[in-house]
Formats: sequence, structure tokens, C-alpha cells
Amino acid sequence: MAGGGACCGRGGGGSEDSIIWAKSPSQPSTSFAFGLCLVLTSNKIKKRHPKSRSLLAARLGSELKETMEQEEGEARMHKVEFDPSEIEYVSYGGEHHLPLIMNLVDQELSEPYSIFTYRYFVYLWPHLSFLAFHKGKCVGTVVCKMGEHRSTFRGYIAMLVVIKPYRGRGIATELVTRSIKVMMESGCEEVTLEAEVTNKGALALYGRLGFIRAKRLFRYYLNGVDAFRLKLLFPCPEIHPSLSMMADKVESHGHHDHIAPEECPEHHHIS
Amino acid sequence: MAERDAEEATMSHQAPERSSIPSGDNTVWADISPLLDAACKELGDGEMIHGENFNLFAAMSALEIMDPKMDSGIVSKYCSLDEAIEDGAAPVPLSHDKTIDVQSIIDIMDHLLACEATWHSGHSLAQTVFSCIYLLRLDRTSSHAILHSYCRVIRATCKAVVSVVSDARTHEEEDLFSMTYGLPLDGDGDEKCLSFLNAVEETICRQLRACKAPSSKKRVLEDIEPLQHNLDLEEGFCKALLCRLRFRKHFFHTLACMRRPQGRGFEMARKHIASCILELESILKSAEFLRFGVCGTCKDGIEGKTTASGHTPIGFDASLNSRSAAPTPPRAIKILSWKRAVEYFVKLLHDLDVICSYSLDPSLEGVLRFVVQFQKSKPDLVARAHLQVLLVQDGKLYGRYPIFAVITKASALPEFTKNHDIQKSECFMQLGQLVINMLKILCTNAAWQRRKLGKILQDWRVIYVQLELALRNEVGEVSSNMDDEKMSVKILRHVLNWVEEQTYWIASRFLMLGFELDLYSPSEYCMVYWYLYVVLIKLAEKTHFRMAVSNEPIKRKGKKKKDSLKEVAKESRVHPAILFLQCHMCLAEGLTMMLAALRNDLMVLQSQNPFNTEQERFLQHFELLQKACIPDHISYPSFKESTSYARLSTLVMYNYFKDAQRIAKEIKSSFSNDPEKLAELRRIEQVAEHNGIALNVISRVGALDPSLKV
Repeated sequence: MAGGGACCGRGGGGSEDSIIWAKSPSQPSTSFAFGLCLVLTSNKIKKRHPKSRSLLAARLGSELKETMEQEEGEARMHKVEFDPSEIEYVSYGGEHHLPLIMNLVDQELSEPYSIFTYRYFVYLWPHLSFLAFHKGKCVGTVVCKMGEHRSTFRGYIAMLVVIKPYRGRGIATELVTRSIKVMMESGCEEVTLEAEVTNKGALALYGRLGFIRAKRLFRYYLNGVDAFRLKLLFPCPEIHPSLSMMADKVESHGHHDHIAPEECPEHHHIS
Repeated sequence: MAERDAEEATMSHQAPERSSIPSGDNTVWADISPLLDAACKELGDGEMIHGENFNLFAAMSALEIMDPKMDSGIVSKYCSLDEAIEDGAAPVPLSHDKTIDVQSIIDIMDHLLACEATWHSGHSLAQTVFSCIYLLRLDRTSSHAILHSYCRVIRATCKAVVSVVSDARTHEEEDLFSMTYGLPLDGDGDEKCLSFLNAVEETICRQLRACKAPSSKKRVLEDIEPLQHNLDLEEGFCKALLCRLRFRKHFFHTLACMRRPQGRGFEMARKHIASCILELESILKSAEFLRFGVCGTCKDGIEGKTTASGHTPIGFDASLNSRSAAPTPPRAIKILSWKRAVEYFVKLLHDLDVICSYSLDPSLEGVLRFVVQFQKSKPDLVARAHLQVLLVQDGKLYGRYPIFAVITKASALPEFTKNHDIQKSECFMQLGQLVINMLKILCTNAAWQRRKLGKILQDWRVIYVQLELALRNEVGEVSSNMDDEKMSVKILRHVLNWVEEQTYWIASRFLMLGFELDLYSPSEYCMVYWYLYVVLIKLAEKTHFRMAVSNEPIKRKGKKKKDSLKEVAKESRVHPAILFLQCHMCLAEGLTMMLAALRNDLMVLQSQNPFNTEQERFLQHFELLQKACIPDHISYPSFKESTSYARLSTLVMYNYFKDAQRIAKEIKSSFSNDPEKLAELRRIEQVAEHNGIALNVISRVGALDPSLKV
């Protein structure tokens, strides 16, 4: 992960460990059956190692690989037949989506994230996460963030999962594309992520979208594999008055939920 | 509710059985499960109870207690090292049966070798070598001479290796290596570890002699107790132990010799390296004997095992160090197999041998060529650290040549200029630092190296501007000492040109490393070769200028006297080094044009995507070069201009590949003493030939899928 601003040890939590209680929608895989997740937040992990953010990122990254790697080599026996039009893409809509995302990522990857990892992304940037449904079943998700990083406003793709029977049909590409579009419209200058150098599927997907391999990170992942930092640079917006006016028009059409109910009577019943 | 109680009950049974922590004088345990329960019922989905300072970003580091994937304490079998020892996890002696004891100690030696190789390959010392309980409490082993001396030398070796790598000051990607907190790496008297080892070696030698002697002579020999009780196996075990002990001895000596400053110990080191390799061969050979072991049956499937015998060694527990291990989520490290470990050490020793064979060339050009060549074999951290501490010592090259002297020599200035006062100026002090920094960077792993090379381009540009300013000032001033001023002007002019040459060299390395690291996709090759071409033009220009103003005669390599006249005539035109660069330039230009023509004529190798254009990708790839104006007036439009008219039909006529082949052939004789250069020339010829043929085929047949390997 690029890891946003400064380490949160400053002013936040200090040197004490704090205990937090949070109720999560029940997850089948949890060992805490009473739906409560006992969590100890420790700043120690940061203190012990100044690069802990990159280690956390490294850990996250090593999990990402499994989403795409299995496309190669795995028997395509359990593929589900569907027409692309049957896939419904939805922006993150609230707490009810959180367990779907968590289950998907937990299911496909070898190790679970703490619930706070998910919350960090979907609470702060709900408009950047998308889910793909097929006949009511959640089959894929993308989770992202964006923010200021060394004087560039940049988007970051944290997680991308499509369940095995639905792979190879462009769902991942569609999820990522939607998220990137929102980033672009929100003023991001670039988008970035890391991927294992062996993850051919991911590298091909992002390559087709215009990402370049900006850097190679030696032994980035805990299993010793290198990573590429992939980056997509958006073209500089033209400083042309008529074009920027057009852009404004496009934006206002795209955000129906911001229009006051009285102007759009047909949207009165937005939940 | 009942369901919850039942689940709570199972929860407490699933928790590992530990001695319960007693209530203290001022403390008492209270069950707050009902309170938690009630609080839980009150919370709505997604609601959280948290402190004021709670922050979602920080919370991502949260650990779920008792989750074995995050809570490193939960995975251990033992609470502490003492508990493990009490439980008999590391008995001394390893067995009361001497034969099994010997077998076991060989297994420990093998596993330690595997751990060491795993550590070198990028894991923490705590989870590899120091997963050995015997090492963690070395004093316990003092009654067992073999185990004790072996552990001592391991500890001393690890300390020596950590020292070298720390001195080279490695960086983020490789910093797990030198983490040693909490580990007992310092031992009293470890410097004498070899004397312990020698004593043990001596004893085993005598035991070996004793068991090999014909029975009639046995009484004549000293009354020595055999190593173990099974006479049939005595020879095998003695030999197996001896080669392992000797390997450690010679390896320790190698490291000690290589640490001597200015490469003074290199000759000795090479001897020890040769011995190490011989002992490793013996170690490998011993595997067959050990596999059969005491039972006489061969243990199958030792692939992936960490010991020659295939047995699991006793006395290791990686979880004991979880508190002093690297602060990563707890994951079991996969220790390299014993075979892979031996292979690792063979390679390491070969890499160290290359360093020890290096002639300590005082010319910077020679150093750079050596380092680039050395890096081609992809040496690991330990070898690279040794190279770096050799090259840069006390701010001098090899600890011998002051950097300013190196710079004046590289700039083709006369030797006496190395004492000039101008070296004390701010500019030259900084330039010296840049050169030292560059040498260090060139010793790092390719991925990190490329990033750093890109970053320092800016610094080299800045120093150039500063030197230019200094030159203008010098030229403008009128000094009382006319000779001195003229010299400083000359120095500045030469150094300025050399700085530019060096900058372009760095740029060319930056671009070339991108291929090695697989950073370019096929649709980007065209722009990369183009940029490489424009950089090489500049590099050749600056190199040529340096050669032209050089005071030294052009060295002729491997010339026979009768040919010398012919060669002089040829060489007086262009120096072979320049021609060598021209080969590369022809290839680069040829490849650029061919790829451009393929795109223009056949629409292949293009990349259309919804979010950006080729221009953005150009800007990204060459951002650091563009920022430093390397070269000047180069931009995406100039790339488009150069390539938009490329056509297969015209390319066949102006065949750059043929030029490359021709030049390569011409200069082969100039490099007849340089096997590496000759090998490279041969590769250039091959590449040129393949591409030339491909070009012909494509232009005739219009095939869509040529092989475009560099």
C-alpha cells in the first residue's frame, strides 16, 4: 500500500494500546460466535519497525495475488455460464454490503484482514468500492481509496476479487474501470497499486487499462516475491474554458442522488 | 442465549491449556462476559465503541487476539525458552546412544546450514539460524565438544556477516537481514572459536585414522575412544563430520581475510574459498551414507528436507523468538532445502571469489565495467555487501585512491592535477560524494539500484550547473598566479565534460535495467529503444571528446607488431570504445525504427486504452530523465516526429542492423584480450543478424508476429 500520511502514533492513541469493541454483521468464518470482535489495537507494530506501513502493505499485497493467480493453471471445470448483461454492478451502499465484501475477500484469500481494514476503505471512500452481483449473488468486488500523496492527488486500488467460477469474463476489468472512472472524475492525477511480478492475470488486466510498471520492488512480499508498482497517469486536463464547462455538465448529470427530491420526483423513494 | 453459552464453553476449551495466572494481592479475576454480552446487544450493526483518539488508518494494524494469523503468541508450543528446555526440546547430549548422538548432531549442522542460507536469502536471523535452542543458550552445550564448537563458530560467523552487511548500510528492501535485537550474537571468546574447532577436528582425525588402521596396528596407535560404537559406520560418520567442520573453518577464514582493508587478504581468501568448495563437495557426497544411517534403510523423498539424512533435526523452534522476530504478521518461514542451501553457498563462494580475483583497477571506467559485469550473475546481498565495502572505504576507492584523484584520472587530466587545491571547493567536495554514492548504489540489487540511479540524475545535473558556474567565474577572474588559474580552468573543462559523460552513462544504465527488471511491455519497446538511442548518441559524443583531449596514448590491446601499422591507421580514426557504443546505437536505432515501422505499416504493438494515451506512458517512463533534461530538447513530440515516417520498405534499404554487424566485426580485434567484451560483441552480432533477417522476412511477407528478443 502506498500508506497515506504520517504514522498515526502521533496524537492518536499515543503509546498505549487501546481496546475497541465493534459489532460486525456476523461472519460465518469468525471464531467469536457472539458476533463481537475483541481487538487490541497496538501501536507497537509501528514502533518496532519504522517501515511497518510497508510491511502491512506487503502483507496486504501478498494476499492480493491469490485473486488473480488462480486463473492460470486452475481447471476451468467449475465455470458458471452467464451473459455479461446479467452482471449487476453496484457502488458500495452501506453496512449491508460490508459482510459481502469481507466474505468474498476472506473466501478467496488465504488470510483474513481485520474488519478495520475493510472499514477504513469503505467508510472513508464508499464511492470508490464496487460490487458485482449475478442473480443476487455477490461474485466480485473492488476496494479502493484516494488521497493526497506527496503533492499528487492519487487513487489506490487495495483489493480486487472475483470468485473463481466467474473469472476470465471481464468482471474484474469492469469493476476496476468503474472505480478508476470515479477517481478520474474526482480529480485524481494518477492511480496506483502493487502486484506480484508473477501475477500475469493482474498485470495483463492493468496493462490493458494503461498502467505502466513504474518500479520493481525487491522481495516486497513476505514470501520473498518481487512486486511491480503499477501506475496510471491521467492526461492533463486541457485549460480550455468550453471543455471545462462541458465537464461540469457531465458531472451534474452523473450524480442523481445529489439532486434534491423535489426536482426529481421519480427518485423520492431512494432508500 | 443457550447457544452462546455453549459456544463460550467450547471457546474456553479451545484456548490452549496454560497454567492459570493466579490472582495477586490487589487483583482478582472477574467474569465480564455478561457485561460484554449486554453491550453487544445494545450496539447496532456497524456501530463502534472506541476511544477519542481512535483512527481507522491506525486500526488497520489491529491484531485480533488469539487469531493465529495475527497473534504471534498463540502459535507457540512453549511460553518461553526455559519451558522448552525443561520439556527436553534440546537435550545435551542429544542422545545417550553415541551413534544416534553423532547422527543427530550432523542433522543439526545441516539444518543450521539451511537456516543460514534462508537468512541470507532475506529472512530474519531470529526465525532462521536462531531458531536453534542450542544457539540461544550456548553455555548448555559446553559438555559436548562437537556441538559446542560448532555453535560457537556459527555464532561468530553470523556476527561477522551481519557486520559486513551493516557496514554497507543496506536499505529498506533488505533490512530484515541485520535485525539482531534480542539475539545472543555476542559471545565471550568467540574470536577463539576456531581453536575449539581445531581441537575437535584433531580428535575426529585421530578417530578416523584409528578406524581405518588394520587391526594389527591398532594397539600401536594411541588409545583413542571411537566417535561412536558402530564400527562399520565409524569411517562414514568421521568423514561426514570432518567436511562439515572444515567447511565452517574455511568459511570463517574467508570472511576474516576479505575484511582486511584494501583487499590485502584476497589471495588468502581465494585459497580458503577453494577449500570451502571442496568441503561442500564432500558434504554432498556424504548424503548417501547419511541417508542409509543407522537403520541401513534408505529414507525416501529427501527433496525439500533440510538435512542430508532426511531426518528432522532436534532442538529447533522458530516460534520461541516471536517477540524478537521481525515485526511482521506471524508466518512460518519455509527453510530452504539442504540441497538448495548447499547450492546457495557454492554460488556465494563463487561470487566472493570473483571479488577476490578483481585487480583493483584504479580507473573508474574499469571499476564501473567490473561492477556491471559482476551484477550480471545476480549476486546476493552478502556478496554485494562485500563488494561495496571493498570499493568504498574511508571515502576512498578501495581505501587507497582519493576520490578527487579518481575523478581527475577519469577526466583524462594529467596526473599532477590530483593535488590541485580546487578539490577543496564546495563543488568538488559534493562531486566526490556523488561518485561515492553512485558506487554504493551500483552494488545494490537491480530493482533498488534502478530507482536510485533515476533519482541521482537530478543531482548530477545540478553539480554540472554548479561546475559550469565555477568555470565561468574562473575564466572571468584575473588572478596573480596565472599558471594556477589556467590549470583550474583546464580541470573544470575536463571535469565538466566527464560529468556529462557520467550522467549519460547513468541514464543508459537506468534504461537498460528496465529491460532486466521486465518493466517495459512490448508496446513500449519502441519509445524505450528510441530514448536509449538518443542517450547513447550523447554518451558517445562526450566519450569521444574525452578521448580527443586525452593526454595518454590510446592503448592497443593484443596487437602483433606486424599488424600495428594497419591498426594504428584504423584507430586514429575512431577509438574502439566509441565504435563499441556505435554498435549499440545502431542496434537501438534499428530496433526503434523496426518497431515503429511495424506499428505504422501493420498496426501491431499498439496499446489503446480508455484512460490515457502513449504520451502519458512516455512521460511516466522517462519522468526522471526529463526532469533532469537528459538529454535536452527531447520530448514526446520529438519521439513521434522521429518515428512517424518509419516504413518497412525504406528500412530494408537503410539497414541499421547491417551497420551494427559491420562495426562489431571491425572492432573485435581491438578487444582480443577482453573476453567479456568479445562475448558482448558476439551477442551484438547475433542480435543484429536475427533482427536483420526478421526485417527482411517481415517486409516481404508482412508477418504479424516477429520475435523481438534483445
